[in-house]
Amino acid sequence: MTTTEFTEDTAAIAFAEAGEQQEAKRMPGGSHADHHQGEAPPKKKPFLQTAIFGAISCSAYFLLFKNESLITETYTMGGWHAAFPVGTALFFSFCHGAFASNLLNILGIEAKK
Amino acid sequence: MKRFVIVLMVALFSIPLAADALAGGGGPPANVMKGIFLKVNETERTAVFLRDGGEKPSDLFLAESVKLDKIELNKKMMVELDEHADQPNVVKEVSTMFIDMTRNKLFALLVVGLIGGLLSGFIGSGGAFVLTPAMMSLGVPGAVAVASNMCHKFPKAMVGAYKRYKYGQADIKLGLVMAVTAIIGVQIGIKIQKYILNHWGNAGSNLYVSTIFVLVLVLVGAYVLWDAQKLAKGSDDKGTPKLALAMQKIKIPPMMHFKVANITLSAWVTVPVGLFTGMLAATIAVGGFIGVPGMIYVVGASAVVASATELIIAFVMGMWGSIQWGLSGLIDIRLTLLILATSLIGVQLGALGTTYVKDYMIKVVMAATMLIVAVSRGAKIPGYLADLGLRSPLEAQSTSLLNAVSFWALVAALGTAGLIIAAAMIRGMAADRRSKKIEGAIDLG
Repeated sequence: MTTTEFTEDTAAIAFAEAGEQQEAKRMPGGSHADHHQGEAPPKKKPFLQTAIFGAISCSAYFLLFKNESLITETYTMGGWHAAFPVGTALFFSFCHGAFASNLLNILGIEAKK
Repeated sequence: MKRFVIVLMVALFSIPLAADALAGGGGPPANVMKGIFLKVNETERTAVFLRDGGEKPSDLFLAESVKLDKIELNKKMMVELDEHADQPNVVKEVSTMFIDMTRNKLFALLVVGLIGGLLSGFIGSGGAFVLTPAMMSLGVPGAVAVASNMCHKFPKAMVGAYKRYKYGQADIKLGLVMAVTAIIGVQIGIKIQKYILNHWGNAGSNLYVSTIFVLVLVLVGAYVLWDAQKLAKGSDDKGTPKLALAMQKIKIPPMMHFKVANITLSAWVTVPVGLFTGMLAATIAVGGFIGVPGMIYVVGASAVVASATELIIAFVMGMWGSIQWGLSGLIDIRLTLLILATSLIGVQLGALGTTYVKDYMIKVVMAATMLIVAVSRGAKIPGYLADLGLRSPLEAQSTSLLNAVSFWALVAALGTAGLIIAAAMIRGMAADRRSKKIEGAIDLG
C-alpha cells in the first residue's frame, strides 16, 4: 500500500466512523475499506471443472460396465494384477472425488470459513 | 497439498514393502480357491475344478453342506475348503464369484455407500461394519465382500483426509505414527483370531468376534455418550481429559510434538492406542471405534482432530489391506466403484459438516452408532452360543427374530447417524448464514 492509499484509507474510515457512509464509499480508499469489512468478492462457480470431471467419471463408469466381464476377469487374476483394482480405485477417487467436490461447491454446500 | 502428495507417495511405495515384511497375516484366508468347475458328478458328490492360473484340473469332494444347484459350469466360482476334514480337497462351501448386477442391487449399493461415506467423513470411521454384511446379503461371497469393501475404503479415506487436512483438522504426523503401530496390531489380532479358530472352530471364532464387538462398543460408546452429554450441558468444550493430561506428563523419549493436535507427548503413549486400533480392525473390521476415542481420551486430541486423523490411519491400513486382497485376486472392482460413486460425495459432505458443528456433536454421532451397532451384533450371540453347545439350540422362530433384530439395528444405526449429521449440518449452515447476514447488515450500518 502506498502512502497516498493509506491516507485515503484512513480518511475513508474516518468518514465512515462519523456516520458519512456515502462519502466514505465515494473515496478511492472507501471501497477498499469496505472490502476489509467482510464483503468477499463473488466467487466463480466451477461449472467447467464439474462438467469435465463429471464427463471423465461417467465415461469411466460406462466403460467399466460395458466391459464388465473382461475387467472382472482380469482384475481378479491375482499377483501383480493387484495393481489394476488399486490403481483404478485411485483413479476414480481423483476424478470422481474432484467432480463431487466441485458439484458440492456449485450447490453452495461449502465448509465454514 | 504438496505435503499431502508426499505422504501419499511414501504410503504408496512403502506399504508393499511393509506387506512383504509382515507377510503371514492380515490377508485373505488360505483355504479359499477360485476357478471354474469343469465337471460335476452329483451321485458321487465329486467335481473337477480348474484353479485360476493353474494348468491341471484337480478333483474335489463336495461335502453335504454344499448345495449342488449352486454350482455352475464354466463360470468363475469360489470354493472354500474344509481344513478340519479327514481328507484333503473337501469343499464345504461354493459361491458364484461375481453377482449379477440388477437395478435393485445397484441402488442398494449406492445408498449404503452414501451413508457410509457420510459417517466416515464425520466420525473418521464407519461403513465397514455395514457395507460388508450388506454386500453379503446381496449374494456376494464373504471374502469378495471384505476385499471389495477394503478397496473402496482407502480412496474414500484419502479424499476425506485431504479435505479435513485442508480444513486444518488432520494431524498427518500423528496419523502416520498411529498407522505404523496399527499395522503391527493387525498382525497380533490375526494371530489371536487364528489361534481361536484352530482351537474352537468357526463358532468359537464368531463368538469371540461378537463378544469383543459388543464389549468394546458398549463400554466405549457409553463413555463417549456420557462425555458428549456433559459437554453439551455447557462444560468446557476444549477441556483435555484427565487421563490424557496424565499421559502428557510421561517424559520417556522420543518426545514428539503434534502440531495440529497441539500436543507434545512421548511416542510410547501412542503405541497402545495404535496397537488396539489395529487389533480391533483385525477382529471387527472397524479400528476407528478404538482409534478415535483413544486419540481423544489417551492422546488428548480434540474429537475433530481425532476423527480427521483416523482417516489417515484408515487410508494407510486400507491401502495395505487392498494390496493383500488384490494379490489374491478377490476384489470385485464393480462393487468397489459403485460404493465409491456415492461414498466420495458422502465423505466430503461429512467432512465439511464437521466445520459447522461443535466438538461434542461428533462424539454424539459416534456413541449413537456404536451403541446401536452393538445391539445388532449382540443379537447374534445366542446363536453362536448354541453352535458351541453352551446353551440349548434356538428355535427357528427365535433365530429369524434375532436375525431381523440384527439387520434392522444396522439399518437403524446408519439411519440415525445420517439423520443426526444432516440435522446438525443444516442447523449449523443456517446459523452461519444468519450470522453472516447480521454481519453484513452491521457493515452497511
